[in-house]
Amino acid sequence: MSEVILKVTNLTKSFTVRGTMSGKKQSIQAVGGVSFEIRRGETLGIVGESGCGKSTLARCIVQLLPVTSGSVEFQGATLTGLSRRKLRPHRRNLQLVFQDPFASLNPRRTVRDIVAQPLRVHRFGTKDEIEARVQELFTLVGLDVNSLGRYPHEFSGGQRQRIGIARSLALNPELVIADEPVSALDVSVQAQVLNLMAELQEKLGLTYLFIAHDLGVVRHVSDRVGVMYLGEMVELGPAEPIYDAPLHPYTEALLSVAPELDDGTIDKRERIVLQGDVPDPANKPTGCPFHPRCPVAQDRCRSEKPVLAPVEDGRFVACHFPRRK
Amino acid sequence: MPEPILEIENLRVSFATRSGTVRAVDGLTMSVGAGETVGIVGESGSGKSVSMYAILGLLREPNAVIEGSVKFRGQEILGASNEDLRKIRGKDIAMIFQDPMTAMTPVYTVGWQIAEQIRQHTSATKKQARERAIELLAEVSIPDPTRRVDQYPHEFSGGMRQRAVIAMALSCEPSLLIADEPTTALDVTTQAQILELLNQLQERRGSSIVMITHDMGVISEVADRVVVMYAGRPAELGSRHDIIRDPRHPYTWGLLGAVPRLDSRRARLVTIPGAPVSPLDVPEGCAFAPRCEYRHAQCEQRPHLHGDDHQDACWLEPTEKVRLRQRSDS
Repeated sequence: MSEVILKVTNLTKSFTVRGTMSGKKQSIQAVGGVSFEIRRGETLGIVGESGCGKSTLARCIVQLLPVTSGSVEFQGATLTGLSRRKLRPHRRNLQLVFQDPFASLNPRRTVRDIVAQPLRVHRFGTKDEIEARVQELFTLVGLDVNSLGRYPHEFSGGQRQRIGIARSLALNPELVIADEPVSALDVSVQAQVLNLMAELQEKLGLTYLFIAHDLGVVRHVSDRVGVMYLGEMVELGPAEPIYDAPLHPYTEALLSVAPELDDGTIDKRERIVLQGDVPDPANKPTGCPFHPRCPVAQDRCRSEKPVLAPVEDGRFVACHFPRRK
Repeated sequence: MPEPILEIENLRVSFATRSGTVRAVDGLTMSVGAGETVGIVGESGSGKSVSMYAILGLLREPNAVIEGSVKFRGQEILGASNEDLRKIRGKDIAMIFQDPMTAMTPVYTVGWQIAEQIRQHTSATKKQARERAIELLAEVSIPDPTRRVDQYPHEFSGGMRQRAVIAMALSCEPSLLIADEPTTALDVTTQAQILELLNQLQERRGSSIVMITHDMGVISEVADRVVVMYAGRPAELGSRHDIIRDPRHPYTWGLLGAVPRLDSRRARLVTIPGAPVSPLDVPEGCAFAPRCEYRHAQCEQRPHLHGDDHQDACWLEPTEKVRLRQRSDS
């Protein structure tokens, strides 16, 4: 097995907010004690619904947000608590691809400038070397080198996401964190970008942390999958067994209601429609965060919080009463 | 087939813009039977929303030209006066929009907004309308409706807001419900709740639904019949079974193949090369031809929908399609 490239230990992130009416300070825990590892060359998919903390987690890993507690180790170095200057050499190996290809590209710069920016910041080389690298990247992501002088608005959504990917690959990163990279795209274009990311991984030996809400997309790209609910990792393990036989009741419910193409090849699962909404993170339930909506919750779940514990074959689950083994 | 409640004949919608005429919808013909759910599926810019806005007279754009015929219960509604339309809209035909936040005004309570709709279309008193609003909120499974009725939209969660919008749409017991991407802005578990709710309501009331969506998975769960649109034109039309298990148009093949599946891993997804065609220069011939790997000389001419119950707009021979489909599948 290849080496661990990223190790996240007990990462917690809280935000302090003031109530709109009361003005009272309140602490909201967006990510609560998340731990996992990623090995070189693999893709870890993180899936969860809005507000589960998956994007906050991504931002904490790249140190765009300071963590409240816990640590992030990348290639053996601890990133948490480092100054901006000391972070810089690590950042080139750790890049982000954002969700919205419209908001993440500066509309007043040509795409040549946008892709060249990280190269300049990290003093990649002379002007000519940078230009050569930009052209190489453009070709790599399947764009026409002749359009380098254009502005972001002249490109379609899919092309813009390719530009975002080219920018993130400029410095030959080891780990790419992609936060919902295809959710703003039409299906046919989404498929193109997913295939491109898979090709690039093969060609460049990239490691991905892939964050998305779409269960099909996550299944498609991931070697391993982590499922988040209300800021916590409730299940983690190899993709196939999780999708075939989920252990956590939340994962089970999520998979049962994901719309699927009924083309005669799939076994329809029994639908488990969860009642109610995800609780307010400012008022997390006691015990297991999922218990108010859990179809199999018992007394113990209301008082005692389950921890993410190993089960078998690299699988982890945070549940007192996991589903059939 | 059940008696159609809505019949659309050769609907065309175009906009005069500075850079030329945009044909947003070009020759849509479809019908909706009583109690039936028809799904309209397509990518952004395929004309699926515009066509429904057009038939309800909701396109306020002065540069829009709408042609064709739309009959609701046998009566022509295209070109009907605003006053006549207002009697139908909200009462006989109701619409649910994608974003539940913009479908409600933030400055009135949810209950007031539902009651207003009821009072518009019936002779109910204020008090009766309010009672009815509470009943409706209960019907769409909003907990504690007597308290919720006096709350404002921002106090509702996304899923609850969409429920409230559905309650509003149902307030006058419409016979046709047009839902424009009703679950796109919602999470999977909430989406499941809303789809289940729509399904229950349809069973209970026997109303027809037109479901506009880009998600083939949603289509597969709810639609009886499906219209696939590309560049403003219908590409294929048939039962859910026809479209999902026996698709005939290469665009439909691409759409289905591009969906990542829960049960497969890592096989490359089928992609449609290029990007959706710009509405400013839709080709004279088949709109999909520039992206189609099976195009041939005949595709210079525009194909029209042909067939009986399962129709498609593609020049390929039926036997040829079966062969190509099997090949692209394996």
